[in-house]
Amino acid sequence: MAFTNIFAYVITLMLYEWLQASSVDVSVTIPESRVDGVSMTTSSVNRGVPVSPSLGPSSYLSLSLMSAFPDDLEISDYCQEELHIFAQRYVSYVNCLVSFVRPVKVCQNCHIQFRNLEEIYANISSDQVGPANVSCRDTLLRSDRLMLVFVLFDNLLEIWKTSACDRCLTKELSSLSNDTLYYMATLNQSLSCFEKHQQQGNHSELCKECKTTYRSLNELYSRMEKNKTLCIDIEDSMNMTRRLWSKNFNCSFPREETVPVIAVSSFMLFLPIIFYLSSFLHSEQKKRKLIHPKRAKSSGGLTNVQDKYS
Amino acid sequence: MANVSKKVSWSSRDEDPAQGEGTPLLNGASAARYTRQFSGSGIFHIGRLSTVDLEEENVEEEGSILSRPKEIPHNEKLLSLKYESLDYDNSENQLFLEEERRMSYMGFRCLEISRWVVCGLIGFLTGLIACFIDIVVENLAGVKYHVVKQNIEKFTEVGGLSISLILWAVLNSAFVMVGSIIVAFFEPIAAGSGIPQIKCYLNGVKIPRVVRLKTLVVKVGGVICSVAGGLAVGKEGPMIHSGAVVAAGVSQGRSTSLKKDFKIFEYFRRDTEKRDFVSAGAAAGVSAAFGAPVGGVLFSLEEGASFWNQMLTWRIFFASMMSTFTLNFFLSIYHEKPGDLSSPGLINFGRFDSDSVEYNLYEIPLFICMGAIGGLLGALFNVLNYWLTIFRIRYIHRPCLQVMEAMLVAAVTATVSFAMIYFSNDCQPLGPDQSEEYPLQLFCADGEYNSMATAFFNTPERSVRSLFHNPPGTYNPLTLGVFTLSYFFLACWTYGLTVSAGVFIPSLLIGAAWGRLFGILLSAITSSGSIWADPGKYALIGAAAQLGGIVRMTLSLTVIMVEATGNVTYGLPIMLVLMTAKIVGDYFVGGLYDIHIKLQSVPFLDWEAPATSHSLTAREVMSSPVTCFNRIEKVGRIVDILSNTSTNHNGFPVVPRVNENNEPGRLCGLILRSQLIVLLKHKVFVERAHSRLKQRRLQLKDFRDAYPRFPPIQSIHVSQDERECMMDLTEFMNPTPYTVPQETSLPRVFKLFRALGLRHLVVIDSENRVVGLVTRKDLARYHLGRHGLEELQLAQT
Repeated sequence: MAFTNIFAYVITLMLYEWLQASSVDVSVTIPESRVDGVSMTTSSVNRGVPVSPSLGPSSYLSLSLMSAFPDDLEISDYCQEELHIFAQRYVSYVNCLVSFVRPVKVCQNCHIQFRNLEEIYANISSDQVGPANVSCRDTLLRSDRLMLVFVLFDNLLEIWKTSACDRCLTKELSSLSNDTLYYMATLNQSLSCFEKHQQQGNHSELCKECKTTYRSLNELYSRMEKNKTLCIDIEDSMNMTRRLWSKNFNCSFPREETVPVIAVSSFMLFLPIIFYLSSFLHSEQKKRKLIHPKRAKSSGGLTNVQDKYS
Repeated sequence: MANVSKKVSWSSRDEDPAQGEGTPLLNGASAARYTRQFSGSGIFHIGRLSTVDLEEENVEEEGSILSRPKEIPHNEKLLSLKYESLDYDNSENQLFLEEERRMSYMGFRCLEISRWVVCGLIGFLTGLIACFIDIVVENLAGVKYHVVKQNIEKFTEVGGLSISLILWAVLNSAFVMVGSIIVAFFEPIAAGSGIPQIKCYLNGVKIPRVVRLKTLVVKVGGVICSVAGGLAVGKEGPMIHSGAVVAAGVSQGRSTSLKKDFKIFEYFRRDTEKRDFVSAGAAAGVSAAFGAPVGGVLFSLEEGASFWNQMLTWRIFFASMMSTFTLNFFLSIYHEKPGDLSSPGLINFGRFDSDSVEYNLYEIPLFICMGAIGGLLGALFNVLNYWLTIFRIRYIHRPCLQVMEAMLVAAVTATVSFAMIYFSNDCQPLGPDQSEEYPLQLFCADGEYNSMATAFFNTPERSVRSLFHNPPGTYNPLTLGVFTLSYFFLACWTYGLTVSAGVFIPSLLIGAAWGRLFGILLSAITSSGSIWADPGKYALIGAAAQLGGIVRMTLSLTVIMVEATGNVTYGLPIMLVLMTAKIVGDYFVGGLYDIHIKLQSVPFLDWEAPATSHSLTAREVMSSPVTCFNRIEKVGRIVDILSNTSTNHNGFPVVPRVNENNEPGRLCGLILRSQLIVLLKHKVFVERAHSRLKQRRLQLKDFRDAYPRFPPIQSIHVSQDERECMMDLTEFMNPTPYTVPQETSLPRVFKLFRALGLRHLVVIDSENRVVGLVTRKDLARYHLGRHGLEELQLAQT
């Protein structure tokens, strides 16, 4: 039922625009029909039929039957307004997200958009009554199976949660937190160091020179990890830096002391062999004393048999 | 050769020819019967094969064989004298009848209720112990790995990683040394997983000191040390033993070790009741270890099933449930999620996602194939461990050597692990969920960790879980292959050390590793295979196959695995795999626990008598002549017989009058050593009957108070005057002991013994005269070998 309701609403909107474009006198009747109800609407559409001969009469009729509902089921202007704002902010947030996909900078750049979107959604979903004495929550959010507005927002919310942007921002999502800014500064230090030495083309030099800044960056990162102040931007930038450091510049530790490790290992492995050999040679073997049970009669019988067969 | 061996095995005849000739009638009769009944080959084998192991000895000391007691190296074909049966059979003497008469209807109801209370307590305490072990192990291992990890990190940078290796080895050895010392020097029975011992106990064998408080303490301490010491062991097997000890202790309402008597549950102080509770305790242990209450009950039934009934099963289930619940509840508090009851058991296989649990018809042959591999590997494991254990029993029997061996194994385990990690090139990116507790970077790029370290640098339980659940691609095949190989030998080497530790987890780990390898290879060879060959699923199946191949448990293991996985969907594949593994493995060698039971020379009774033993009769099986007592016996004679260390009998048939020439008398009852000792202690002599009337009459309670550690006869002082007194046994003996005629076949005797849990079975002739006595050792010595019926020898161990 809820689904058909929205469907009808959309069709009504389409009709409205079309009629507005096509003829003046019909456009006058449409608002009237919306006030008067179904019977009026039907008549108004009937009146519109001659205006557009291109549409087949029968199909037109079936559409028109669903095209409008009594006023109390229809969406109010206020809600429509809200919906419109929602759509705009939605688009701007998604645009922002897409433009900062790689390298990930969605938290630093899109938090304003998200805050706005969240604000309008909160408006829509609140049960406070708007100026026209209507609440949009029921009409927009849960009138139908699709729950389009809710699902759309929920998807973005999920993205926001996964990226953990909250952790890098101040409480009211207005700006980056101090920790994040400090991290950015440290990161830039490292990167500029990289850049400086990279031009010389000598990576071993780079490894030596930038080690302190890189290390302090790493330490800061693990501190933030412990404090749970990491968001996707920071994680991604750290990952990139680490990859740069280990893979591109090859600054991770080399496997150098193979010989001592092998020596110590083989010594350890040798110990049990000595142990088992020595205990085999020196320890006296444990012997078991056999006991002969009292079984005089039957054993006599057995040996007799054995004598016969052996 | 046959001639020599014959003399060895039946030298009693040669030593004492008069005895043999003294009963010409019986002798002739049995011989005649043999020639009539058989082709002779079966019996020929008995004589010949029981002495095969003596051959080398014979060559060396041909001349002196008969002159002194025979000594042979330890082997599996021996029965030790130190094990006795439990008195499962109730002695219905007059005292018992009196007590039963006195007891009201309410009394019986109260007993029933207190049985439930005891079971609840058993479950509760077992759960608490499991919880304690878990928490302590987690913390100790945490500290150890933290220290080693920091050290490794430090030395990766500045060089000198061999120092980290030594540090790790020393830490491991130190933990294991503590664990091994307490086991080797204080309570050797606490070594190993304890499952063989509990199996024997439930089978009806009284293993000395196996259910004492001291054993429990040593066991718990030992497990903590050995798991924290990084050995290839688990803490699940010992939980079963711990549960059994708790049960034996709680049900008695007192601790003999602590000399504390709570004066409760006095009715349960006898073997019959205690054994029922021990089976409940074992079930509670299983259920705490694996979070498998039903599996625990089935384990108890599988191991001790000859004596169960519906009510007992229900009580056992109650105990299991209590223990899982307790463990769960307290662990949830420890993990700061109080009330969250969804993580039962010490080992937690974790949740399997619903899309990875699916399996299809075409995977069934693969599962069966994996079962066969598991059976083969399990058999290999058991054979290797068998030889190792024999070597250990023969050569490494001094406690200090045992401690040294355990420390060496710990050090080598650390070394092997370190070398594996060091030379591994398998680096994986850190996951977002931080599933690795102690990620080691070593030479990997920043932000990555060494994937070999997840398998080695971790407690085995966690390794199992990561093998089950880490997403595909976490391990590369080479890592898994090397890991499987090295861990297989480490685990095989470790089991049987003088530390308390179980074999469940190592088996699961080996199996999970090659199972996962199997899964990875499978998806590699099938182009579109990545969809269905989820490596975690194959890891689980491999773990089940390996465990089944090693321990060869059947129904209970299936249920335990299903319950631990928390997924009934896997019931069919796991069952198929376990069946295949058992069939394949049994073709080569028995289960690990059975091997160890045999090596400990325990008179363990199987389900059935050996198949080809119908021709043996009670007459050949029984011990004879029997030491009997008169109904009214002289105290001096009783004391003399009881203190004769060479015989050390436990049950004595009571006859009206023993003839002078040892002619067998008519049977009128059976009295046990323990009863006689209590009677002597209380000086229940005929001459004192008058003074005793003023005192209290002896009650069944007095016998129970002495249970289970009846004082040795040496500690009871009997004066010269008292030796001349007489003792009336009528009131105390069991007037209706089970008897069989002497022509009864061995399987019949066996069945009676096994089904009723007997300790003594009197063999009588047609005139109800005592001819012999069958005990557990007389029956357990026959078993079916590859060459027909073989006979085990009795030995002092």
